[in-house]
Amino acid sequence: MRVVLADDAVLLREGVARLLTEAGFDVVGQCSTAEDLLLKVRSYSPDVAVTDIRMPPTQTDEGLRAALEIRSRHPKVGVLVLSQHADVGLAMKLLAESAEGVGYMLKDRVEDIDEFAEAVRRVGHGGSVIDPTIVSQLLGRRRGDDPLERLTPREREVLELMAEGRSNQGIAERLVVTERAVQKHITSIFQKLGLPAGSEDHRRVLAVLAFLRS
Amino acid sequence: MATAQLPRRDSRARPGLLDPGPERADDALARWIRHALWLLGFGAGVGVLALTLSSEGRASLDVSLVLTVLAGWSFIASGLIAWRHRPEGRLGPIMAAVGFVWLAWRLLAHSDWSPAFTAALWLSDLWAIVFAFFLVSFPYGRIASKRDYALMAPFVVAVVPLELLWLLFWRTDEGPGNALLVWPNTTVAENVDAVQRALIVTGSIVLTGVLTRRWLVASPAFRRVLTPILTGAAAILLGSSLTVVAKVTEPPAILEWVVLSALCAVPLAVLGGLLRARLARSAVGDLMVELRDAPSPGELRDALARALHDPSMEIAYWVPEYETYVGPDGRSVRLPASGDGRAVTTVEHGGRAVAALIHDESLADEPELVGAVTAAAAIALENERLQADLRARLEELRGSRARIVEAGDAERRRLERNLHDGTQQQLVSVAIGLRLVASRLEGDSEAAELLAAARDELAAALDELRELAQGIHPAVLTDHGLDVALETLAARAPLPVRVRVEVAERLPEAVEVAAYYLVAEGLTNVAKYAGASTASVAVEREDGRLVVQVADDGVGGADPAHGSGLRGLADRVEALNGRLRVWSPAGGGTKVLAEIPCA
Repeated sequence: MRVVLADDAVLLREGVARLLTEAGFDVVGQCSTAEDLLLKVRSYSPDVAVTDIRMPPTQTDEGLRAALEIRSRHPKVGVLVLSQHADVGLAMKLLAESAEGVGYMLKDRVEDIDEFAEAVRRVGHGGSVIDPTIVSQLLGRRRGDDPLERLTPREREVLELMAEGRSNQGIAERLVVTERAVQKHITSIFQKLGLPAGSEDHRRVLAVLAFLRS
Repeated sequence: MATAQLPRRDSRARPGLLDPGPERADDALARWIRHALWLLGFGAGVGVLALTLSSEGRASLDVSLVLTVLAGWSFIASGLIAWRHRPEGRLGPIMAAVGFVWLAWRLLAHSDWSPAFTAALWLSDLWAIVFAFFLVSFPYGRIASKRDYALMAPFVVAVVPLELLWLLFWRTDEGPGNALLVWPNTTVAENVDAVQRALIVTGSIVLTGVLTRRWLVASPAFRRVLTPILTGAAAILLGSSLTVVAKVTEPPAILEWVVLSALCAVPLAVLGGLLRARLARSAVGDLMVELRDAPSPGELRDALARALHDPSMEIAYWVPEYETYVGPDGRSVRLPASGDGRAVTTVEHGGRAVAALIHDESLADEPELVGAVTAAAAIALENERLQADLRARLEELRGSRARIVEAGDAERRRLERNLHDGTQQQLVSVAIGLRLVASRLEGDSEAAELLAAARDELAAALDELRELAQGIHPAVLTDHGLDVALETLAARAPLPVRVRVEVAERLPEAVEVAAYYLVAEGLTNVAKYAGASTASVAVEREDGRLVVQVADDGVGGADPAHGSGLRGLADRVEALNGRLRVWSPAGGGTKVLAEIPCA
């Protein structure tokens, strides 16, 4: 899988590149600016672009805007956005159009190379990645007459993993159960929460997130 | 800077020109005297008319006779009215005296009794002294200097010693004859008479010259007061010249009419001037009433503009600290230079500058009015000046408070960015390095365990550092704006929060930061105290203000006076000239509303 990396912290970027290379990815390009990233995506047609949010010149939202632009101009290229903070608002802005081939992850997590590699792969295949911090924040609120309380602990776990953007297979691996069991849980969850069942993974993510935000 | 001035005279020497002087009860005698004089004056005029017509057997009035009586009445009536309105001034009695002498000698001239007839001869010249005194002493009713006494000298010499001398020698067949005649000698009498006439003409020329000069050096307003007097001087000059001319040839009647008409007009003009000053005083009176109700800044300006009849008038207040004038809003004002149609009158109170009135140049012609208005308004202006001063200081204070808050925010932003760009990135790099080491340690269980522990420590440190950076400054706000940042805040709250942000564009950073902290603190309070099931956050722009509202459906009863959180927020909002309000009825939820100007 071909990856382009963008981060103006060169040392860190080199480290990430090494991690990805060791995990079997082909890092075809590295750059320090959003502009350069767009250029490299156009010329190298990677499977995934991994980018920091804050980059020159203003060190504010360059990476985010580049990510949205890549998604709209190069729909085949997945984008994984790395951020120093886990901001729900930012995640929602990134996923506003679609969760397909989009990921939002805390930068710290790249160190857990298995998780990181799995996230890059998922985004490269058109799936979604939502940082667990975001999901747990949304799950953490009380609700009056909370339908979430009707979920079993296992269903809750499934819901969390689903909200992170994992596929049924991914959830099954994570929970060490069969995909069939996962599917049964999901059907039950959707019923209990009153959500329309049976959509693709990335649409499912949005539906769950929308429910959790409401 | 042009400063309006009152006519320069010793204040003791000008009784009653400006000051109304209250009418007192013990003036009853004066009032009776005036009533009597009205009758006497009227009677004298009628008497002159009747006696002249009967003695000369004329059936119809001629112009000279009518003008003569009118001139007498004009002096008497004007004098008595002026006396009533200015009982403490001497101008009224003096004018009345001019009128009475004027009519008296004409009455006595018809007498068949020679001492009375002789008195009439003398009074006809005495009138010149009284009239000259009226002219010289105007408008104070007193002769102010030796030079002014000298002006009177030719008239006194001609009328007192020379007239007596003339009477001793002058023999006449008119009426009952000259009672003082001792040595009839026409030549001596003629010569004395010639000297008399020459003296009176000379005196009139000098008097007219001096009064003309006085008029020329006077301020425009004082000129207007002096003009009738100058006219009077011209009349006496022309009249006395006519008596000289009459020696040679009969002067045209029209000249006599001019003199008499002028004598009719002079007292009326003097009275008019007095009454106009009264009108100005009534404007000042109205002003005093308005000032009593402690007018607001705009009302004070309007009241002064009305009293001065100048709608364009502006007020500038003196701020001693900066040695400058400021407008009512506290901003600096430049006083106009003279010559561009505007004039400046400075107002002092207790010897210190208070304010400057910037008004139309033509008002400089009415120094009495301007002087009276500024005197009346000095205290109100001083109050207003103190308030303008206070406003200027408050503005300064508010500005410095805003700058302190902004400096603090800038410093926190810098700290957060340093953490983000430096330490956080470095620690993530270290974590990656440790991870790369770990991948090479597969199998060595003890080292791998130690390394795993170190990596866990590092992960925890990174979490803490992230929290710390977030606490120092909300980077998401600066980088992505209010809507994104408030969405994040709402997600962190432990209860569902409905967020509505209707602000499309970025706002000044200080405003955004204030709104952010307001929502953050508001939601923290909701979570801690409100016992609410839902909360809402609404942010919108309205009339150049950002309106931020945090509401919940909890127990209410929050006390904004307690808890430094809300107090600190109020400080922050007020530093931006905004307002923070809290509604928290017991059992009715809590609503925190801030309005922050953001033009």
